[in-house]
Amino acid sequence: MEMIEQHLITIFVFLPLAGALFVTVFLRDTQKEAIRWATFLTMLAGFLLSLKLFFGYDADSTQTMQFVQSTPWLPEYGIVYKVGIDGMSLLLFLMTTFLGPLVILSSWRSIEDRVKGFHVSMLLLQTAMLGAFVSLNLFLFYIFWEAMLIPMYFIIGIWGGPRRIYAAVKFFLYTLFGSLLMLVAILYLYFVHVKQFGFYSFDLFDLYRVHLAVGPEKILFLAFALSFAIKVPMFPFHTWLPDAHVEAPTAGSVILAGVLLKMGTYGFLRFAIPLFPAAAAYFYPLIAVLAVIGIIYGALVAMVQPDLKKLVAYSSVSHLGFVMLGLAVLNAQGVEGSVIQMVNHGLSTGALFLIVGMIYDRRHTRLISDFGGIAKAMPIFATFFMIVTLSSIGLPGLNGFIGEFLILIGTFKKSVVLAVLAASGVILAAVYMLWMFKRAVFGPLDKEENKSLKDLNLREIAVLVPIVVMIVWIGVYPQTFLRKMDRSVEGLLARTEQVAAPPVQSRERDSISMMESKSVYDFGRQGHGD
Amino acid sequence: MGIDSLPAALSVIRPELILAVTALVCLALDLLYKPADKMPCWAVAFFGSLAALASTIASWGTEQEAFSQLVRMDNLSNFFAVIFLMVGLITLCLSDSYVQREGLPAGEYYTLLLISMTGMVFMAQANDLMTVYLGIEIMSIPVYVLVAMMSKSPKSPEAGLKYLLLGGFASAILLFGIALLYGAVGTTQLADILRQAPGALKASDPLFLAGVGLLLVGMGFKVSLVPFHMWTPDAYEGAPTSVTAFMSVAVKAAGFSVLIRVIVLSLSPMAVDWSQIFWWLAVLSMVLGNVVALVQENIKRMLAYSSIAHAGYVLVALTTGTETGIHAALIYLFIYALMNLGAFGVVIAVSREGDQGVEIRDYTGMARKRPLYALAMAVFMFSLAGVPPTAGFIGKFYAFSAAVKAGYVWLAVIGVLMSAVSAYFYLRVLVVMYMKEPEAGAEYSAGPWGAPIGAGVSVSLWVCALSILFLGIWPGWLSHFAQQALQGLTSLL
Amino acid sequence: MLSPYIPVFVGILWAALLAAVLIGVSLLFGPNRPTPEKRSTYECGIDPMIGDARTRFSIKFYVVAVLFLLFDVEVVFMYPWAVLLKRLGLLGLIEMMTFLLVLVVAFVYVWKKGALNWE
Repeated sequence: MEMIEQHLITIFVFLPLAGALFVTVFLRDTQKEAIRWATFLTMLAGFLLSLKLFFGYDADSTQTMQFVQSTPWLPEYGIVYKVGIDGMSLLLFLMTTFLGPLVILSSWRSIEDRVKGFHVSMLLLQTAMLGAFVSLNLFLFYIFWEAMLIPMYFIIGIWGGPRRIYAAVKFFLYTLFGSLLMLVAILYLYFVHVKQFGFYSFDLFDLYRVHLAVGPEKILFLAFALSFAIKVPMFPFHTWLPDAHVEAPTAGSVILAGVLLKMGTYGFLRFAIPLFPAAAAYFYPLIAVLAVIGIIYGALVAMVQPDLKKLVAYSSVSHLGFVMLGLAVLNAQGVEGSVIQMVNHGLSTGALFLIVGMIYDRRHTRLISDFGGIAKAMPIFATFFMIVTLSSIGLPGLNGFIGEFLILIGTFKKSVVLAVLAASGVILAAVYMLWMFKRAVFGPLDKEENKSLKDLNLREIAVLVPIVVMIVWIGVYPQTFLRKMDRSVEGLLARTEQVAAPPVQSRERDSISMMESKSVYDFGRQGHGD
Repeated sequence: MGIDSLPAALSVIRPELILAVTALVCLALDLLYKPADKMPCWAVAFFGSLAALASTIASWGTEQEAFSQLVRMDNLSNFFAVIFLMVGLITLCLSDSYVQREGLPAGEYYTLLLISMTGMVFMAQANDLMTVYLGIEIMSIPVYVLVAMMSKSPKSPEAGLKYLLLGGFASAILLFGIALLYGAVGTTQLADILRQAPGALKASDPLFLAGVGLLLVGMGFKVSLVPFHMWTPDAYEGAPTSVTAFMSVAVKAAGFSVLIRVIVLSLSPMAVDWSQIFWWLAVLSMVLGNVVALVQENIKRMLAYSSIAHAGYVLVALTTGTETGIHAALIYLFIYALMNLGAFGVVIAVSREGDQGVEIRDYTGMARKRPLYALAMAVFMFSLAGVPPTAGFIGKFYAFSAAVKAGYVWLAVIGVLMSAVSAYFYLRVLVVMYMKEPEAGAEYSAGPWGAPIGAGVSVSLWVCALSILFLGIWPGWLSHFAQQALQGLTSLL
Repeated sequence: MLSPYIPVFVGILWAALLAAVLIGVSLLFGPNRPTPEKRSTYECGIDPMIGDARTRFSIKFYVVAVLFLLFDVEVVFMYPWAVLLKRLGLLGLIEMMTFLLVLVVAFVYVWKKGALNWE
């Protein structure tokens, strides 16, 4: 039992890999149902087991990194298999395991070609993503980070839409380009650490201690930031995203939106900002402005999309702008809002992609103009669609509101102008989402093909219900989740502020941040009261 | 040297002796059996190489010079010998059915392969410029013949002739360099050269500098660095595929073994000078190799350009002139050998008689009909592109970290950017295999993958693919052996 | 100082002198009746080939030439070895035997493969 306790995270990370090996070795490509069940059960087991992390995570402990496991791998180079989880990665980790079984369920009928390859890819992807969220050694992180590309590349390229090859290659090369520069930056940092401390280590917490000169710190930050910004993707590095999203199969889109993009924002949170706090503070205006541009640009482009999936894809750009804005302002509300918004985006946008996928499976078109009035043909579908749409807009009472509101408060403290501009993004979101919804779901049911549409079946409902439950839960009582990360966020902010700020301002900010960390807590309660 | 010291001296060159004797036996066997029955030749060659490998591994850790210090066995030479013999064994496995299918003269083929390997081991053990030269010639001349061996195809003799002429030039230049060096310092012994170099440098002896420059040119040719790479694409494309596989890894590794021993170790006093040259050669090789590979339609040609780029990555590590750098180069060469052999193995498995089916478009839709070949190719391509968790990443990691450690950050940046470029053409193979469907009625739609291929090819593909995955996750032991290979030599730096 | 080389110089001088004397004597006393045949370039007693040098000729010549060169040159190695055989002792004998063995294998191979058959 002790053994298992110590290796808990490792077991959860590699469970999907074990599933993948099982499917590869024991099942033939023609045993489609068996493959689907094996994959689904692996993913489901992964989720149920990982709940243990959620309940076992002690939010009040001063030790923010928990369940840490550290095993030498290439010790002479400071390469250690070290994993652990804190409040921020906990939520993302759980969201990943939560989405896992749902996407398998959702693609039960839509993937008929090369079933084995698809499910093995999904399982491998799951392992790589989970691994990236819990790695505390930069080398290990880099391995998982890059390994993610391979299955995703195949998922988009093999099971995707008509322009899948272009999208897959673009996705791969964009991300690879960014991460290779990060590799050089990691190596540079590593050798500076060796020079300063006299021993080799890729350990994140060892590298936190490195003192860098101003110039190199900025360059290293930019190298990390570029890699993560491409993944997020931040404006102007977002062009791969619409292609990848539109061409990917539904399951791929959900995972891409739900988890892969979070890798970028998580990377900022865990690596770029705490490793280079001074540079992060220095580049704050740049990131914040790009984030706001992303919010508004994404919203405006989404507004004019005739294609449902493209619309959702651009809305992702907009939503992730919010996440980045919250990270850039670096205060308690901003960062907590960001993390919650990452989860929200995973749920809402993931659900939107699922819904678009469901309608696409029936009609084989995604053009808004091909629909209209389907609320009459598919009432259950329309209900789910409505809830998810409202969540994506940020209606109070649903999850989107919590994240965006916290982020906006955080931004407001730092810059009123940016907060006002960003808030306009919320209005634009309402415009494009509701307009789309009106055209697609309401109105007269005038297309012959739409009249015979079947409503959602039990499987599809089973996919959407858990997501909707979570959407409401976070919207109504976010405290369950916010509480888990309070201390971790405090730790992050304490680190950035002590290093980053010039002496005079730092005192002010310290006092504010102390107030803030309390007020977040209060806000959660108020939100509940609302 | 008296007869008493003969056994000791012979034990130093035991791998070479085994290989040479095997070559002779192979040649004799070729006469005894009918042309159709070439199994005995193959078996003798295989077990001979295996014995040489075992002998090399058995002498791991010994350090000994012999024949008036002409040869020197140490862990560095053993490490390289292991690479050559491993490559040789895998090449033999790849060749078995290929030689039969293409109707190559099997006896000569295996004999030449063995002689070439003998030369390589001599190169790795060279302790004197004369041994270097002899080793290079013993290695090269059989390879010239092997390249030209597929006489049915017009490309092969052309490739052989080009390789022979340019290779002859390179050897002459190398020899001239050796002569100049001898003129400058009065010795061809590497240890003596190391001792004399500071003096010659202080006097900035033009003879000495020119000699070193010419040596660099000669070796640059063997490892096909830009701008000495002109022969590579043609020779690699025209040669029988199994020979291309052999050349692209073993000949290259042998060239690097000499480069490491002669330039990096023995001329370490002038590291400042050659590292600048290395810097440029590395950058040019990486840029040209990768960029030109982007537009290749023939997979052998593409891999040829990619091999130029990989020579560039190895040189990135060597540019540092440090222990870490050589260590990284050793690891890189070992891993590169496995992944490149694997890639050519798939090319062999997929091609048809007459070396047909080596255009990239011939791979269209292969993943459906031959999922395992496609999967193996995917592993090799990702590894060549340097994506974790394959061994290719580990190789690049070591190479670039050596560069960053020594302060060559820009070199590392150029290196990683070029590996991003390289991902494009490696991925192209995957796109074609996995994401495209064969066009109905097109000439290649039947697929060139119908013909059964020998067990040897399958075995080598499995071995290469699994070891690449294994090394990608547990590179520790390779790093450990590479570290041991440098023991006792690093004092030279 | 140059004493070991003095016999060499004497030898060279003697050779030059002898050649000069022989040529001089034959010029002086020999009959001189030139014909067109006699004035033409000497080429194994046949008419010189006039025209393009790049004519095709059988590859058999090439094979024979290469083999001749190879085996001829290898035999040259045996002269210095023979001179020093006493000093080299048993080791020298073993070395030369190994060398010859390799040559013999190659020779048998060439023979069996029919490289020496003209037709």
